[in-house]
Amino acid sequence: MGKFIAKRLLQLIPILVGITFLSFALMQLAGGDYVTTMLENTGVAVTQEVIDARKAELGLDRPFIEQYLSWLAGLLHGDMGTSFVSGKDVFATFVQHLPATLLLTLSSVIATLVISVPLGVYSAIHHNKAADYIVRVTCFVGNSLPNFFVALLLIYVFALVLGWLPVISPMPTLGASGVDLTGLVLPTATLAIAMVSKYTRQIRAAVLEELGKPYVAAARSRGVAGRTVLFKSVLKSCMLLIVTLLALSIGDLLGGTAIVETIFMWDGVGKLAVDSITMRDYPMIQAYVVWMAIIYVFVNLVSDILYRALDPRVAQQEVKA
Amino acid sequence: MTHTGKGLSRRGFVGLGAGVGVAALIGQSVFGAQAPCGALADGATFAYGTTGYGPEMDDAGLNPHANYSGWSCVRYGVGETLFKFSDSMEPESWLAESYEFTDDTTVVIKLREGVRFSSGRAMDAQAVKECLDDLLAVHDRAPLDLEIDAIEADGMTLAITTKRPKPALINYLCDPYGAIIDMQAGVSADNNVAGTGPFVATSVSDTEIALVANADYWGGTPSLANVSVRSITDGDTLTMALQAGQIDASYGLPYASYALFENPSFNIESCETSRAFFAQANYASPVMSDPAVRHALALGIDKEGFVEVLLNGRGAPAAGAFPSNFAFGNDTVSAPAYDPEEAKRVLEEAGWVDSDGDGVREKDGQRLHIVWLTYPGRQELPLLAESVQFSLGEIGFEVEVNCTANHTSIRTDTSAWDVYASALVTAPTGDPEYFFSATCVTDAPKNFGGYSNPDLDALAEQLSEEFDTGKRAELATQMQQVILDDDAYMFASHLTMGIVSRAGVSGIAPHPCDYYEVTAGLAVA
Amino acid sequence: MSRLSNATVRKMVVFAVLAVLLVLAALFAEHLCPYDPYAQNLREALQAPSEAHLLGTDRYGRDMLSRVIMGGQSSIASTLVCVAVVALIGTAVGVVAGWRAGVLDTLLMRTSDVFLAFPGLVFALAVAGVLGGGIQNAVIALCAIGWPKFARIARSQTLAVCDASFIQAARMQGTKGLALIVRHVLPNIAGPIVVCAVLDIGTMMMELAGLSYLGLGAQPPMAEWGSMMSDGRSMLQTAPWCVLAPGLAIFITVLVFNLLGDTLRDYLDPKKKGSAS
Repeated sequence: MGKFIAKRLLQLIPILVGITFLSFALMQLAGGDYVTTMLENTGVAVTQEVIDARKAELGLDRPFIEQYLSWLAGLLHGDMGTSFVSGKDVFATFVQHLPATLLLTLSSVIATLVISVPLGVYSAIHHNKAADYIVRVTCFVGNSLPNFFVALLLIYVFALVLGWLPVISPMPTLGASGVDLTGLVLPTATLAIAMVSKYTRQIRAAVLEELGKPYVAAARSRGVAGRTVLFKSVLKSCMLLIVTLLALSIGDLLGGTAIVETIFMWDGVGKLAVDSITMRDYPMIQAYVVWMAIIYVFVNLVSDILYRALDPRVAQQEVKA
Repeated sequence: MTHTGKGLSRRGFVGLGAGVGVAALIGQSVFGAQAPCGALADGATFAYGTTGYGPEMDDAGLNPHANYSGWSCVRYGVGETLFKFSDSMEPESWLAESYEFTDDTTVVIKLREGVRFSSGRAMDAQAVKECLDDLLAVHDRAPLDLEIDAIEADGMTLAITTKRPKPALINYLCDPYGAIIDMQAGVSADNNVAGTGPFVATSVSDTEIALVANADYWGGTPSLANVSVRSITDGDTLTMALQAGQIDASYGLPYASYALFENPSFNIESCETSRAFFAQANYASPVMSDPAVRHALALGIDKEGFVEVLLNGRGAPAAGAFPSNFAFGNDTVSAPAYDPEEAKRVLEEAGWVDSDGDGVREKDGQRLHIVWLTYPGRQELPLLAESVQFSLGEIGFEVEVNCTANHTSIRTDTSAWDVYASALVTAPTGDPEYFFSATCVTDAPKNFGGYSNPDLDALAEQLSEEFDTGKRAELATQMQQVILDDDAYMFASHLTMGIVSRAGVSGIAPHPCDYYEVTAGLAVA
Repeated sequence: MSRLSNATVRKMVVFAVLAVLLVLAALFAEHLCPYDPYAQNLREALQAPSEAHLLGTDRYGRDMLSRVIMGGQSSIASTLVCVAVVALIGTAVGVVAGWRAGVLDTLLMRTSDVFLAFPGLVFALAVAGVLGGGIQNAVIALCAIGWPKFARIARSQTLAVCDASFIQAARMQGTKGLALIVRHVLPNIAGPIVVCAVLDIGTMMMELAGLSYLGLGAQPPMAEWGSMMSDGRSMLQTAPWCVLAPGLAIFITVLVFNLLGDTLRDYLDPKKKGSAS
């Protein structure tokens, strides 16, 4: 196991170099640079000297390879540079925005599991009956709406029309009356709706497949209670599926769902990424890309480990291949 | 099987239902009914939502000597400049009482008595000198604008000497970078400063500023104890936050949202600013170098339609570079009005005919095809582009719109565009010289089309040395007419800025220069 | 062994017909539009649905129904192209990787890892920056990010099939290399890939809409559902038809293709008891 983990972590290095170089190159090719973009936004004319001076300050006048290598060297020393936009340390800023995304990820995943697993199982058990169709239709609907639209609709209905929840989500706070999570509800709901729609269908399909297997009928004919069969065998084999889905989704969520974060003014890394890309804040963009690479490798690693733990056949298959 | 299945899922559903119910209860108890009219959204704090604050606008933090943060310092009532602009963009006294030019390069400024910084220090000429010296040392634009040679401080009198005659010096001192702060108190780690304004910031971040009333303010303590400025970048979120009562006033609403607030529960304060949406012709382009084409293009922009419909009436069609409330504004110049028939006639006469019946004119084998370069950063520009694309199409143009955030590099490549539409604050200091020197004279920094007219350059020379404001206005009018007659620049409209607030709120309104928002007079009925 | 029921086949045919209808509507959009989708008439802007304009008008006074129909052309065509390209490239890469294990396999899979790890957002924005905006470039961006998924599936399917007895049998008969792949491997892995592709149509369409929301995607005055929704979102409260019309169009199209994909999966994989009657 240890060797397996070490090998996978080692793969992190080429991936990191690969994607940071790619993103740096893309940004360069994409043209525009922080200084001119930002000065343009204010709509006030500035002389070329001012622009050039600022660029030199930020090292933007050096050739591309030099900029990349110096960034890479900095990274190896643990220094991710300073943001062009705020002038603050990139690593510190990034870490500052991370908890918000982590919180949103956690709550979305919990909400999704809590809703989709029972729903998927229920739907499978009652397949082809009215309840099943209702669930399936709802899932299709949830799958077919762009997330920014869902977000706006949710705000409109729950914040404006019903007035139950705030439009702008305040960060959860610890007050006299306990934890105030109201700001978390709408962003979580937006993300959860999309995920629940996806998960429920797949869980339903997996459960159905399991239920159709001969051993289930055999167990039932032996008099084993349905519930026991359900819990012991069916759900256990669904765990594999759930683990895979979770791995993918957590990977996505931890990257910060930029659109949702922007609409709800949720100060997470996704919003940070979009803002940085628009402003061509290279150091921050690179930090974000590094972060995504780490998540990717890490999440895949964890899911692979769980996979092997849950299903010993997988380990054997790997040896064979 | 069904029995146990129901049992399992029933439990699941009950749990779910309970969860939703609990969430609803929490929501109700924390937010309950909407805040009643007249009360503030957030207890005792006035919540002000704006799209204009943040690192993307280069104005995060309150340090006037950094980038555009001076705008935030002045807008939110923390700092004040020596002079401020009246509603007609004339400098009037603020921290300074009066000024007098003793000669072409020296001005003597008398300061107001009894002003204190929020750090406790009394403001005197020495403090102002320290502040301005620091500004000139660290800021990028200020030294070039002001060209100050030396500052002498004596009691409450300041003597400023410039390197060459600067008729617009006082105007430039109204720029927010000139906000006077206590240099001894300095700039804190979170970019907070000690100013002289009606409010003091207790915490500053990239997305929020918390303000408290300055009890020692020289103009009297503001009636509001707490103000919170919040950056909300998404226009729809801003709209809904205002509707839901989560904020008390907003700056930067999308045009489409104003209709929602045209009712007695809200006030809409508007004013025309000098931010102009205009197009410049690329003289290096074979199509645009034909004066008939330029004239037809100018005739083909439906300014009324653009403003009335696309901007929901929130704008003013423009003739010249400056809005009507200026002495050298729209009413003093004449520009082509929308006249598609005339445009077609002009093109026909010049030899641009549609020989192959495809709706696009040609001449000598050259199609009347233009690339309209613009950018999405200001919501009006894509609207203008799409409207123009159609109206010019009716006349026989083929317009290809390139609306990209990458315009800053594309505009320097004269083979890549024919018309460049942008937004610019044409008179940030109320003075006309800036626009021409930045945009229209030969080799000006924002003259991307290569326009060059020796008459204009000569007039610009005159303007740079003319001290008499009346004569300056005349020159400005003449210069605008030159560029309009050449059809080198076409002005579509000027921005009408709006601040929408809940009924009962007063003392917050936009200003033509866009510098002043939160003031001592801010009050809730 | 196959327990295909008539119900499954019937359902599949229904959805396939619907999908084909949608594609046809997209193909012949110009003839179906009651008005010119690009004709502006500022005096008639933002009118509610009426007899003259069944879905109302947008902020430029253009007929929404025509724009929705025309938008179908760009949205559906772009999505289909994108999915096709991604499926082809991904499958090719995956089959090669699975067939010729070893260094090539590792190389290809590591490359796909890099693309998978790469945040889609950054990539899309950067591509838009490099190539300029526009729907073709948005499609290119999505293609670049989307192929690894198919590569993975194709590879694992190929690996599974490699050892199958019929492959051994074909080999013993003398079929080799490319012929072996084309005649025996591809048909057997085609099923899951096709299903994945059809199901991916919905996702792609939404991602395209998402890119339009961020200002990439179709440039004016092109009618495309995602950008129409993005343009109209500020008017959700004042002129809801501007958002709801394209939204509904996306919804219906995605729904049809998802249902088609679902039934296709049931049809091709008889083990699944999704519709056991």
